[in-house]
Amino acid sequence: MSNPGFDYIDLFENAPCGYVVLLTNGRVERANRTMLSWTGYPADQMVGKRFSDYLSMAGRIFYETHIAPLLRMQGFFNEFAIDVVGADGKPISMIANALEMRDAAGEPLFVRLALIKATDRRLYESQLLQARDAAKISLANERATSELREQFIAVLGHDLRNPLASISAGARILGRDAKTDREHQVVAMLQSTVVRMAGLIDNVLDFARGRLGGGITLDRNARAPLQPVLHQVVDELRLSSPGREIREEYMIDVPVDCDRSRIGQLVSNLVGNAITHGASSQPILVSAATENGLFKLSVCNAGEPIPADAMTKLFEPFFRGEVRASRQGLGLGLHIASQIAKAHGGTLTVSSNTKETCFSFVMPLL
Amino acid sequence: MVDVIKRNNVRIRGLGDRAMVFAHGFGCDQNMWRFVAPAFEKDFRTVLFDQVGAGGSDLASYDNAKYATLGGYADDVVEIGCELGLKDAVFVGHSVSAMIGALAALKVPGMFGKLVMVGPSARYIDDGDYIGGFGEKQIEELLQFLEANHMGWSIQMAPTIMGNADRPELGEELTNSFCRTDPEIAKAFARVTFQSDNRTDLPEINVPTLILQCSEDIIAPQAAGEFVRDSIPNSRFVVLEATGHCPNLSAPDEVIAAMRNFV
Repeated sequence: MSNPGFDYIDLFENAPCGYVVLLTNGRVERANRTMLSWTGYPADQMVGKRFSDYLSMAGRIFYETHIAPLLRMQGFFNEFAIDVVGADGKPISMIANALEMRDAAGEPLFVRLALIKATDRRLYESQLLQARDAAKISLANERATSELREQFIAVLGHDLRNPLASISAGARILGRDAKTDREHQVVAMLQSTVVRMAGLIDNVLDFARGRLGGGITLDRNARAPLQPVLHQVVDELRLSSPGREIREEYMIDVPVDCDRSRIGQLVSNLVGNAITHGASSQPILVSAATENGLFKLSVCNAGEPIPADAMTKLFEPFFRGEVRASRQGLGLGLHIASQIAKAHGGTLTVSSNTKETCFSFVMPLL
Repeated sequence: MVDVIKRNNVRIRGLGDRAMVFAHGFGCDQNMWRFVAPAFEKDFRTVLFDQVGAGGSDLASYDNAKYATLGGYADDVVEIGCELGLKDAVFVGHSVSAMIGALAALKVPGMFGKLVMVGPSARYIDDGDYIGGFGEKQIEELLQFLEANHMGWSIQMAPTIMGNADRPELGEELTNSFCRTDPEIAKAFARVTFQSDNRTDLPEINVPTLILQCSEDIIAPQAAGEFVRDSIPNSRFVVLEATGHCPNLSAPDEVIAAMRNFV
């Protein structure tokens, strides 16, 4: 052999993988030099022994229950992981292919195994499995926590609304008998707080539901008129913010297939925002119209323009503009409004300059 | 109403009046009997099936609670037996299914008139003087090791297999399909198998039982086979020349001859 690349005995003995030949009774007929050097056994020690004697106990069970049957049934088994125990007693992680050689009648003659040392790869795989298991556990924990949180928020929302309704009823009763200006002022303040509080609770519940998978659900109704709902929402806000002028312009000519209470909530959030951030000396304009197959609704106010860096974050949850602490909300109003717009297949956009700030909701009429 | 025929991928062949039910153990599926079952088709109605979780069984029927014990698997055998109206049938169980068959025979007397146990073990884990061949720690290692061999199973593969539960010929084209199982189910079945202990059930068996013991079987060592022999009153014990744990594949002729002698 002048060219060692074609020396087949050398190719077998010093191949870059281990070769093992097994007889049909599972005993080692031959193992190549690579395999012997990886495992540290002398050849005469391996030959004649059962191959499974060199496997970890788990490997033996796997060999008997999977590898041996598969070799008989399909004639080969590729890419299985196996741990061969070396002469020093330490397992060597390998990946192996096995092939059953058969005679013309299909009877098995012997089995050829090619084994590749794969310590790093197997370690990496086992780490992936560990990471997956850890992630599964952590996901299950998160889900449990999140379910608890959902229940907590639902219960909290319910429990907060009841006392709020009592305060509201009490304020109405006091309002009927109020005589002095001061009494009227206190009652108006109570009612304004109730409206604001109710809005905050609604937003918190919607946000929680949206985040926890429920999303904003719609109860659409194309037949019922929308305008009275919008007017009622604006009126409530007007009553709770005496001294603020809110103008309304409606040109709703065709039915709008929407969830009216959700659109009411959207308007309430936008007007509430305008009351908080707009110039108190200037009127707020609420306009709604149907035209060219679209329903458009906008809320505009005068005042300082929204800073450029705030514009991109306005609709993100918990974003709060610069206002005095007593008017500070949760930063959910605009986020919920944009989610309501999205649920209707529409958009909520903002434009702001020194003249005015306008939030515009546009949705297609079906 | 559960369709047990579909659930367990039951295959019926053969011409005989008396039924012979073949049950595979942990590892592969009913193909384990491919070299043995045809030999009995002339004289028996052969019934082959896949344990739920294996082969062409309906994976959606897998229920963690039901299959947490071998009793759940025995219930499946009984349900198949009822569906087919089996009486005085022969039950042939390989490996852990030998015990599943024993449990089924105890549940419904008369359904099985004879038991053939190939490589049985009443308990795999050593216990005092009892030799099962395994330590508890080794079984835990096995469960970890099974994870390293996903048997060609991948998430992408699962729907293909499950979607073709009624057309197993499609699945059989795939590599390693004879041994393919959902890895979670395989692990659970391994756990149930290797942690089972049926030592107290065996003396109750009152039908003739043939025990086929392999030479050099590391899963069911000879001591375990002898324990089964000594525990079942009416048992016959035959040590095969075949080595390993699957004589039904490696030495079918020897298995067939021993079974013919018995049935």
